[in-house]
Amino acid sequence: MLEQFVKLPIRKRVGIIAIILGFIAIFAGSPYDRSTTRVNIKELTKISLAEDHSINVDDLADWIIKGKYDYRLVDLRDTEIYNKYNIPGSENIPIRELFNSDLMRNENIILYSDDEAVSSQGWFLLKADKYKTVFILEGGMKCWKDQVVFPKLPADPTKKQLALFEKKKEVCKFFGGQPQFGGEEQIEQETPKLKAPPKVTVTTKRKKRSREGC
Amino acid sequence: MIAPFFKFGYFNDEISLVVAFIIGIGFGFFLERGGFGSARLLAAQFYFTDMRVFKVMFTAIVTAMIGVFYLSWIGWVDISLIYYGNTYLLAQIFGGLILGIGFVIGGYCPGTSAVSIATGRIDGIVYALGGFFGIFIFGEAYPMIEGFVNGNYMGMINIPQLLNINYGMILFIVILLAIGGFTAAEWGEKVMAKKRAEK
Repeated sequence: MLEQFVKLPIRKRVGIIAIILGFIAIFAGSPYDRSTTRVNIKELTKISLAEDHSINVDDLADWIIKGKYDYRLVDLRDTEIYNKYNIPGSENIPIRELFNSDLMRNENIILYSDDEAVSSQGWFLLKADKYKTVFILEGGMKCWKDQVVFPKLPADPTKKQLALFEKKKEVCKFFGGQPQFGGEEQIEQETPKLKAPPKVTVTTKRKKRSREGC
Repeated sequence: MIAPFFKFGYFNDEISLVVAFIIGIGFGFFLERGGFGSARLLAAQFYFTDMRVFKVMFTAIVTAMIGVFYLSWIGWVDISLIYYGNTYLLAQIFGGLILGIGFVIGGYCPGTSAVSIATGRIDGIVYALGGFFGIFIFGEAYPMIEGFVNGNYMGMINIPQLLNINYGMILFIVILLAIGGFTAAEWGEKVMAKKRAEK
């Protein structure tokens, strides 16, 4: 049979190969389906140890105020909790929905959750599926609330701490929060209402894709 | 590494122009070598006397289709990042008709007219100038036809998504169509050659 195949003119051979490849393709499954992937464990270990994958909450607050949105801020918590309060500009993709989302492999993605545990899982899942730049919000939502929305002035602050606190006061007002003073008794704070930030014009919509192609 | 390389930032805008230049040279070279720089040969397609254009184009389509499918299947290409145009159904049908009519009359498509210019054909130059004139007219008339041009927007959609069919099945069907088409084209060429000989 092989001899007969070799004897055929080249266009017929190519045609037969194409038909075979096409037939296999029917059973190969969709290339859009991403439920299985090969992971290079060594490389992933190297990446996870070598690079810093965290974003500081103060930096993020700064970006939001400046309207810098060259990233996608992903809230991995459940939708119910997300709807109560979330970081302006974030979008809700509960971690089990991560691979049903429209996140692209070439986007800058910042993940956050209540703390770092779930976002670390998310980081690993995305990196295993070859997402290029994925970051974790340092300390998660807890840190965001403590540092940005309700910043606290420690008792007996140094000059440096005072100066920093002055800046944080402005930032927290922007996000509808309230500064806390060290001596005061800690009161359980209500998180600001969703539409609290007055001047922010947050658009989760990214810029229109630039036109490509011919 | 995973493709598309540009989308993953493996090279920047400047390098992308160099890459585009190299690919463009290769594309033009093989178009010319395939005989696509000649309006006679391209027009012969529409008289069914020489189906080379059909065969070359369909071969390219099938080759690229199999390549993209299997490369993404083994994980070398992220298929969701490969760009293809958005669908504006009516405007594209209308535009396709204009292009097709222009193709039959002028004997070129925009790409092949560039190829023919490279070999110094005057008809190619005239054709390309006509193309630029058309672009000018389109630009000037844009406010009037804007609604039509941007109407029937369907987004970035492909056939497997639209019909909800297995992607591999589409691949198989297109391959069968191509091979069926090639066989029919060869048969058609023979019939036309006979007819000509009888004349």
